[in-house]
Amino acid sequence: METLDIALPQMTVLYGVVLLPWLLLGLIGLGLSGAIATGILRMSLQLALVGVYLKTLFTLNNPWLNGLWVLVMLVVADWSILKRAGLKRRYFFAATFAAVTASVLFSTAYLLFLVIRPPLYYDARYLVPLAGMILGNCLQGNVIGLERFYTALKKNENEYQTYLLLGATRWEAVRPYFREAVKAAINPTLASMATLGLVSLPGMMTGQILGGSEPWLAVKYQIAIMLCIFASTTLASILNLALSLNIAFDEFDVLKSDIAEDG
Amino acid sequence: MPPGNRVHEPVDGRTANATLIRFDRVSVSVRGKPILTDLSFTLGAGEKAVLRGRSGSGKSTVLKTLLGLYPLAGGRILFDDEPLDPSAVRIIRRRAAYIGQEPILGAETVREALMLPFQFETHRENKPSERRLIDALARLHLSPDILEQECRRVSGGEKQRIAIARALLLGKNLYLLDEVTSALDAESKRTVLDVFGDPGFTVLSVAHDPDWDTRCDVVLELDGGRLIRTRRDGNA
Repeated sequence: METLDIALPQMTVLYGVVLLPWLLLGLIGLGLSGAIATGILRMSLQLALVGVYLKTLFTLNNPWLNGLWVLVMLVVADWSILKRAGLKRRYFFAATFAAVTASVLFSTAYLLFLVIRPPLYYDARYLVPLAGMILGNCLQGNVIGLERFYTALKKNENEYQTYLLLGATRWEAVRPYFREAVKAAINPTLASMATLGLVSLPGMMTGQILGGSEPWLAVKYQIAIMLCIFASTTLASILNLALSLNIAFDEFDVLKSDIAEDG
Repeated sequence: MPPGNRVHEPVDGRTANATLIRFDRVSVSVRGKPILTDLSFTLGAGEKAVLRGRSGSGKSTVLKTLLGLYPLAGGRILFDDEPLDPSAVRIIRRRAAYIGQEPILGAETVREALMLPFQFETHRENKPSERRLIDALARLHLSPDILEQECRRVSGGEKQRIAIARALLLGKNLYLLDEVTSALDAESKRTVLDVFGDPGFTVLSVAHDPDWDTRCDVVLELDGGRLIRTRRDGNA
């Protein structure tokens, strides 16, 4: 079954769908016209670029090039996690990179080698979208985890110090905040798993169905990707927070005052 | 000889105590702002000292610096003749109790607050019996009924006495007290001062309390982060 193409004239028509909401937002004086135009333009350009490189990756299907692309995605994700969590990249870059890379590679490899088993394990058609989806969700979890953890610690610094003075090690003293942060990091994935299919049809499944796959095949892929997202988000959050403990505290177990990115 | 380097004289027939804490030209800055400058004093084991001075003179910073919560910008601190490195700080934290104006109990009920430190590895083997809990509370004139109360429902004065009871259960013998009597009524204050009068306890305190001053061996007056006067055993 072929997926119907959207020809260029229809693509132009497509942008008309945002005209009415855009006008309404202007009428209620939200002042977001510029931001909306920039957002739509950026999305279109970014996706057009994605189209170009995916086409190239699929055509060449070179293991080194595919690997390089996954590496680029990991570096950009690392950068983005720390920026959004408000932490200094020069301190935490290596720890976050190690945690996210290990977790994403573990889940993706598990899925490719043990479950899907494509003829070419590095096949761009499988490796790039699967690693991308796992990484994208992992990114969200890590932003939430890091942000929650260090905000809570900063807010409850006296409580944390009280634990230290009562004989707790650094790990024992941070444990209550660590648990809460991991819970917050994995909660969106858990909530999404609980309502998937009932509240909304997941993006990958919809894409596969539109692409001509049988619904059962789409369901199996969706289950596979959700389990891998859960695994990588949980592993990366725990690993990332644990590794950051060696960076964010001084030798006396005091939270360093300069770990947050200025501004 | 600077005041901080005085040799301890025997007083009232007591033998001189070995120096437990030595601040030697200590300077501390917080976010680039100098808080303590060239501070020198010593405190012997079993001695009681009070830090006095206006608000912002650096009194509380002295206590927290000893606990390793602020890095030194200059000088050195010796604890039991050992420099204040991470392992010495861990020893101090094991031996010392810091009790502030609003102690954090860190639990739902008073019983959980008293038992909190015993879930940590270092104290796990020394969980106190019910009898010890009750005795510790009684020493601070607190009824056993308070054990099941929620921490958020106890008064500020009771919180301070619960924090002291917790420190007693941990067998602490160095007490760093920050305005600990400020929220207490006259009777509770007497009880607390009697507890800290124990000759086995070394006390470094911040207080504005003439009753406590008279019980202290050393009075250190700070102004703008500098030590401006030391009175030891009643001598200026």
